Amino acid sequence: MELSNISISGLIILVIACLLVIALMVVNAIVMVYAERKGAGFIQRRPGPYEVGPWGTLQPVVDSMKLLGKQIFVPSNVDFFLFFAAPVLAFFPVLLLFLPIPFGPFLTALKVPDGIVLILAFAGFGLLANLLAGYASNNKYGVLGAGRAVSQGVAYEIPMILALLAVVFQTGSMNLSEIVEAQGRWPWSWNILCQPLAFFIYLVTLVAETNRAPFDLPEGESELTAGFHTEYSGMGFALFFLAEYANMLLVSFVCATFFLGGYKGPVLDGFWWTFIKAYLVMMFIVWIRWTFPRVRFDQLLNINWKWLLPLSILNLWITAVVVNFIGK
Amino acid sequence: MQQATDSMVQTLLDYLKQPLSALQEWLAPLLPGDEWAAYLAFALYVLIIVGGGLGAILSRNLIRAMLGLVMTFLGVAGMYLLLASPFLAFMQLLIYVGAVCVLIFFAVMLTHNTDGGEESRLPSVASVAYGLLALLAPLAVFGPFIVMYAGRVPVATPEVEGTDKLGAGLLSSYVLPFELISIILLVAMAGAVYLAFRGYNPKSDGLNQ
Repeated sequence: MELSNISISGLIILVIACLLVIALMVVNAIVMVYAERKGAGFIQRRPGPYEVGPWGTLQPVVDSMKLLGKQIFVPSNVDFFLFFAAPVLAFFPVLLLFLPIPFGPFLTALKVPDGIVLILAFAGFGLLANLLAGYASNNKYGVLGAGRAVSQGVAYEIPMILALLAVVFQTGSMNLSEIVEAQGRWPWSWNILCQPLAFFIYLVTLVAETNRAPFDLPEGESELTAGFHTEYSGMGFALFFLAEYANMLLVSFVCATFFLGGYKGPVLDGFWWTFIKAYLVMMFIVWIRWTFPRVRFDQLLNINWKWLLPLSILNLWITAVVVNFIGK
Repeated sequence: MQQATDSMVQTLLDYLKQPLSALQEWLAPLLPGDEWAAYLAFALYVLIIVGGGLGAILSRNLIRAMLGLVMTFLGVAGMYLLLASPFLAFMQLLIYVGAVCVLIFFAVMLTHNTDGGEESRLPSVASVAYGLLALLAPLAVFGPFIVMYAGRVPVATPEVEGTDKLGAGLLSSYVLPFELISIILLVAMAGAVYLAFRGYNPKSDGLNQ
């Protein structure tokens, strides 16, 4: 569907796409909770969940039942409206972010000419939701977590955009489908080969932007209890959780689209390649969460402002020179 | 094999589109035309902008006021979409919601916003009257133009232009204003660095000034 001619059939396709994206988000959260706990168990040399169902596969189902059944506790003196607006604001913009992703050659919900700008624009709402949650819950840990979330989110957004911009320079388009089409079928013709530095910077910033360890300062449990979502229980917490996993999936899809050839792959192109690549990136995120210790806050900011930002500007500059004088 | 699956998927999509287009034909007489849809969207965005603005002005809590501002920015982004410039709309959200509002929030939190502050009192009647008077100033400037040109200029439906035209314009005919704006940003940045480093002792480790 093109953005310029929206018709009734286009609107119906959009509604169907939104429903599919919600289903994807929920299934993804269930699968990733299991994969993450099993992965953590494997890395820390313990069995992980194994009681509920065969090999513990029903554990996430039981977990979600528990979250659904929990009492929603509201502390005293919270800003009631903002307290409940924040989880909703965290969850719903993520829906929009999946629409421009080209899952397959035909499987794109919304063909926007500036797809990546749409994703980056609406990704800001997640940060805003974290801030509101931390502020509204009338808790010092929450406010501290929100403060950390701001300085981290605003800082790491810049190298992320610059790294993606290098690929945009190279392709000459901000349309995600065209970026995939510009890459070849085999791994040596993917963008990861000609933009290794941009890929590395993106990989670091995507971990920081999704607030995952080793950059999970806004919710570091040993320092801030649970950071910005300390006071949330039951479904409020579940919505933040869903949004976090959906954000992880989104940045993995963007990573697959920009650097790993998207739906193109050996033998047969199709949405299966997008999903395989995105979930490999997801498993990478899980892997480093359980491998690296959490950084200190000054280290976190120094990594960004003193290393990633100059490197990404250098990378962008080199890309611009190469594209301009040597050709694509 | 690739082409076979591609054409298969295409046929499947065409097959899915048939009932949709039938539904569209059936619904067409019941629905407003494109022009009315545009008016409807315009009214909705105006409602969002004005509602957000009122929320920003009237709320007694700084964070809620900022949420009103966010709502206004959303409405303005919708206006850009209505003018067929999705790039500007997304940039509006990226910069104003994703960066400016978040930094406003940071500033509010750092300054320890109490409920009994100056902003929590209702303004006096005189200042409200002055504010309404100031509201008339843009009307005085643009009012004559609106009266003169209302309904006379035929406006063609805008086309979605690529960002390449925007970039070419910024670097050719509008290069001077573009550079002047960057000088303003540079001045602001230099001021921020000066304010931050005033009283900074390079001999200490920088962590505890």
